[in-house]
Amino acid sequence: MNNEMTLSFVAIEENEALARMAMTCFITPLDPTIEEISEFKTIVSEAVTNAILHGYENDGKSLVKIHAKIDDHTVSMTVSDEGAGIDDLARAMEPMYTSKPHMERSGMGFTIMESFSDSLSVESVIGSGTVVKFEKKFSPITETSRMR
Amino acid sequence: MAKIEIIDNGILIATLRGELDNHKANQIRSDISAAIFTGQVRAVIWDLEGLGFMDSAGIGLVLGRMRDLSPSGGETLILNPSATMKKIFGFSGLGENIRYCTIEEAIGEIGGVVHEQ
Repeated sequence: MNNEMTLSFVAIEENEALARMAMTCFITPLDPTIEEISEFKTIVSEAVTNAILHGYENDGKSLVKIHAKIDDHTVSMTVSDEGAGIDDLARAMEPMYTSKPHMERSGMGFTIMESFSDSLSVESVIGSGTVVKFEKKFSPITETSRMR
Repeated sequence: MAKIEIIDNGILIATLRGELDNHKANQIRSDISAAIFTGQVRAVIWDLEGLGFMDSAGIGLVLGRMRDLSPSGGETLILNPSATMKKIFGFSGLGENIRYCTIEEAIGEIGGVVHEQ
């Protein structure tokens, strides 16, 4: 199956749930397992939270953009902002590193996104914004294996 | 949604439902912290059986409350997370706090440990 969509919303925390819900609906035709859905939702949530909190500092007016494509059983997605950008990308992607320890951000967002996706890339320019791209493959499975 | 309950022997039970993301964690963090500081809490049990979703905000929430508890050396147990949540906790070294058991069994474990001290 092939499909494509874009979604944009203002940078407020409430929209983390909106993005997860919309993207879950988008991948439903792939007939994913519970674990595939929950890993996919987690990647979406981490990427969108980064854009809202780090890109736009929760400003309530700038737009976070999602573009997603289904190609057979692979979902390719980008989450982009035109916000602050990331100063030192290598450091930002280290486990446990956070620029916002006072907000109890765990610094595990990129580690989780990398683990739950099949490929992940991040481009960021200070003052221009950040683009997170990832791909996740969904396995076509039989009804019997789904019953487990 | 979070239900916070402190039982007689200083064990705080936080029962989480729905979806735990950054937004939700910000809403419930201060309630749980306040309960820890005012209620002479010596251990926290996170009951995640009814939680539908959690991202890295869950790690921040649990680690933050472990810091609140650290002056008293309090214990933290994470009960019945989903397979995906278990992986997320595992990434940040919280795997050893996870138990798959009933609340009563978890209370028993904490009671036993504290009794031995």
